[in-house]
Amino acid sequence: MTSAAHQQDRVKHLFIWPAVLIVLVVSLFPLIYALTVSFQTVRIVPPTPPRFVGLANYAEIAGSARFWGAIWTTALITFLSVALQYALGFMLALALHHNVPGTALYRVTFLLPMFLAPVGVALIARMIFHPYLGPVNDAMAGLGFAYVPFLTEKWPAIMVLALIDIWQWTPFVTLLMLAGLQGLPQEVFEAARVDNISAWRRFWGITFPMLLPLSVAVIFIRLIEGFKIIDTVFVLTGGGPGTATETLTLFAYNEGFKKFNLGLTSALSFLFLIVVIVFGTVYLAAAQRVTRRFA
Amino acid sequence: MKKLLLTAALLPLGGMAAAQCAPDFTGVTLNVSTNTGPAIASALSAAAEVWEKKTCGEVNVIEFPFGELYPKFLTAMSQGTGDFDVLGFVPAWLPDFAPFLSTMPATLQDGSNWEDIHPTYRERLMVWDGEVKSATMDGDMHMLNLRADLLDNPEEQAAFEAKYGYPLAAPVTWAQYRDQAEFFTRPDQRMYGTAEAYRRGGQQFWYFFSHAASYTNNPNHPGSMFFDPETMDAQINNAGWLRALEEYKAFLAFNPPGALNNGSGDVRPLYAGGTVAMNVDWADSGILRATEGSEGAKGTVRTAMLPGSEEIWNHKTGQWDKFPEVVHSPFLAFGGWQLGVPGDSKNQEAAWDFVSTVVSPEVSGKAIVTANSGVNPYRFSHYDNLENWGSVFTPEEAASYLGAQRASLDAPNVALDLRLPGFFSYTEVLEIELSKALAGEVEPQAALDTIAAEWNKLTDEFGRDKQLAAYRASVGLPPLQ
Amino acid sequence: MTENRSLRHIGLILCLLWLLLAAFPLYWVLITAFKPPLAVSQGPTYIPFVDYQPTLQAFRDAFAGLRGDFTGPIVSSILISITSTALSVFLGTMAAYALVRFNYRIRLVSGLAFATISIGGFVLLDIFTDLRVPYALGLVLVTALPVAIWLNGRALPGPVMGNDDVTFWFVSQRIFPPIVSAFAIYLLFAEMGKIGLPLLDTFGGMVIVYTAFGLPFAVWLMRDFLSTVPLEVEEAAMVDNIGRVRIFLQIVLPMATPGLIATSMIVLAFVWNEFLFALLLTTGDWQTLPILLAGQNSSRGDEWWAISVAALISIAPMVVVSTILGRMMRSGLLSGSIK
Repeated sequence: MTSAAHQQDRVKHLFIWPAVLIVLVVSLFPLIYALTVSFQTVRIVPPTPPRFVGLANYAEIAGSARFWGAIWTTALITFLSVALQYALGFMLALALHHNVPGTALYRVTFLLPMFLAPVGVALIARMIFHPYLGPVNDAMAGLGFAYVPFLTEKWPAIMVLALIDIWQWTPFVTLLMLAGLQGLPQEVFEAARVDNISAWRRFWGITFPMLLPLSVAVIFIRLIEGFKIIDTVFVLTGGGPGTATETLTLFAYNEGFKKFNLGLTSALSFLFLIVVIVFGTVYLAAAQRVTRRFA
Repeated sequence: MKKLLLTAALLPLGGMAAAQCAPDFTGVTLNVSTNTGPAIASALSAAAEVWEKKTCGEVNVIEFPFGELYPKFLTAMSQGTGDFDVLGFVPAWLPDFAPFLSTMPATLQDGSNWEDIHPTYRERLMVWDGEVKSATMDGDMHMLNLRADLLDNPEEQAAFEAKYGYPLAAPVTWAQYRDQAEFFTRPDQRMYGTAEAYRRGGQQFWYFFSHAASYTNNPNHPGSMFFDPETMDAQINNAGWLRALEEYKAFLAFNPPGALNNGSGDVRPLYAGGTVAMNVDWADSGILRATEGSEGAKGTVRTAMLPGSEEIWNHKTGQWDKFPEVVHSPFLAFGGWQLGVPGDSKNQEAAWDFVSTVVSPEVSGKAIVTANSGVNPYRFSHYDNLENWGSVFTPEEAASYLGAQRASLDAPNVALDLRLPGFFSYTEVLEIELSKALAGEVEPQAALDTIAAEWNKLTDEFGRDKQLAAYRASVGLPPLQ
Repeated sequence: MTENRSLRHIGLILCLLWLLLAAFPLYWVLITAFKPPLAVSQGPTYIPFVDYQPTLQAFRDAFAGLRGDFTGPIVSSILISITSTALSVFLGTMAAYALVRFNYRIRLVSGLAFATISIGGFVLLDIFTDLRVPYALGLVLVTALPVAIWLNGRALPGPVMGNDDVTFWFVSQRIFPPIVSAFAIYLLFAEMGKIGLPLLDTFGGMVIVYTAFGLPFAVWLMRDFLSTVPLEVEEAAMVDNIGRVRIFLQIVLPMATPGLIATSMIVLAFVWNEFLFALLLTTGDWQTLPILLAGQNSSRGDEWWAISVAALISIAPMVVVSTILGRMMRSGLLSGSIK
């Protein structure tokens, strides 16, 4: 190999290894621990010595209706809110990019929800949706609607949870899409304007395809993060009524941190991982196809 | 220069102070942890000031969210990190924590201070597996909170008697409770009868237990409320529990709208703000109404023992036992915050000394009358000193407040809270099925049957004999021969 | 032209609606922080001075330490967040750049070998020896990594994974539910503490963990932003024999500034608000704001005024950050081609 290629190699490694090492060191032990524990019964309360049980934990989870219910609930809330977040966030980014009046104000306030701690958002939502002391039901009553059981029936509760998620994370999409929009080369748009192409066609023909890789990335991250929703559910409904609004992470939290049934929780975590990877792979494959179509 | 002179002047004073460190814990820093204040944490901080002056040690009060206390403490203790020297925790966790906690030194289990603690706490709540593992620093139970502005109002009294045929007074049975709740439910006036907690994750099961104690805590068969004390079969689906569930659910009609989503934290402002005529709660409601209620709420706090029943279920005969008089089974919900010293703490002696300071009659006597301290009476000396309450309550309020608590503790048929290893496993399935039953998704009996089946399964998983022994100990029964 | 105007109108209406929706809860928090308890427990109140008399009591309580110490967590959160964000964005951007410009080939076989040696080795060490966890972990890492790298160099059969897979691996670290990971890391840090390297409740421990958190975001997001940076400028510089590192620092980074800023804000937001690991891995010295905020949800009751004050305090530094960085994103100023 030539010396230039050697140098190339060295730089190549210099750039990527720090990141890889840090992630590896922090994530390797949890992975090993979770894997080994998932094949045993490890209970801290009551303290029982660990027993090797093979796939029993996995079988128990995979066979429990509660697990599949949690997947269904989590997927429902996540897909619903991410879809709306993306559409809304993209539209807002476009508006900001084209300098609608008041952009300076929007830029700060639009971003704020994202900067609130999820547990803070959950507590605030609890205040606002409080059936007796909160403004939402007050407004509902004022508009003539009877009191709406936002948090005590399954479907209203899911809507509320999705709504809160949208409220908090649309800024995420807006921020990133705006950065993407600002990074687009201006010449293409100049040319299109000169050719008198309509704004609609400009968007679908130029903007959207060029931002497709970024969109795919943003949606993917939102999906992955969204699947881990727990704070709002914990504070607003506790997972109830029954287990109607119980999400996967809440299920894992109760098993792992309240019952300290670590073996079961580890098995649950791995199954969760598989579920999300399945969803993720399907999503990425579909996204690939869409990208190719628009390219 | 001035600073130098000042320091030089203070040195001899410092020397004098050092000579007063008794016992001397100079250089020791205790990590004391409990949930985020002001309740309990402020009491610990106040006690810390006293202790620091007495012993020249230092105290670091660390606070965590209530919901995360259990996992944080258990994680730290199970790994033996020595992070904490004193823990302020919930008595229901004592079975799970006990293997990791150190036993109270024998020197503290003696003398007038020890005898001053009410025996219900001293001999039952603080003990696990025959050893004193924790110290009560707070006394908790569920009570009925009432309003004098309604109960003493002549028009209300006349109207009530006309409608129901007996005088308006503190309810002694749940039937009377129901009547009063119905009487005061006036939606057009934005007033409702009562407020109880119903939400999953909002500590609702304790409210359910309070109802159930009256119908299932049979004085002739002590300890048969939750489980059969001889076989450990779950009793939670018997007729007494069913009746409690049906009533608990029916009273939703007299709660403000949205009650299904109320946690224990929501029922307090409803009572304090005057939205409801009464509520079932711990002692916090009364204090909240007295300190943060409206002008019209001044002097209107009345507290009573929980309603009881003339019929209690007998699990052996499968029949209702009838009693000539109403039997009260006040439920010691929650039990009252405990202080414990983890076995891996490196400052055992200092830690227990701090604990003894916090629970001493002087320090605790001040804590119970300090607003926001979250400490409720648990020593005989607490109940005897009515004047201390002047800053919070009027004399009538104080008499009623303390009287109800004392009567509850002294009641012959007082019902103790559930304390078992694996507490959360049992309560999780209870909460899930309970919330389904309340929401009308399943029939009450079916929900209770599901809970019973799960409980029996859990008992077998954890070891039936071990759980039986633990249960018998927790309700004060001798071990089975 | 008219189409442009009607589109701008729609855009304006949308922005105003969203402003209302986004701002109302924040407004509610703001006014609730000043409410006396009665203004909460007797029904919703909306306008200070009209519906109720505002009071500073909640603020006084908070700063008196009545609901937990505020000053410590504020400092901890600021220090930990800024350091972790800076580290993860910097290292992540470097990795993203490498993934965009270079070609990586990792044989599946060597990846599997790494996994087998590390996991299997650790389990064997755990069962058959008394080696403490950190030593065992170090041992398997030091063995597995060189072996895997060496294997990668050999010509072995099997599929070869490329850059996309490396990126996916980074992001997959975010998928695993945090419950068991948090406990495992606590265990590891506790063990490290026992052999003399205290990581629990330390600045270093938290920064390492949070950097590892931020890296997936940084890599995933910056990879897309960097791919829009035109190649010609770099190639021109390379012809002039300028080193890669200098090219990266002085040419590429400035051109990707909007993306850098956006990514930094995202990572900062995540680290600032992270709760579970902060709860387990800190005790008294480095407790962060989210724990304090969660602590306001006390068993004593939802004291909304206290929650609002805590929320306001938690978000205040973020408001400053978002204002500063938001200004840097003024449209058009930092876009693409800097010739």
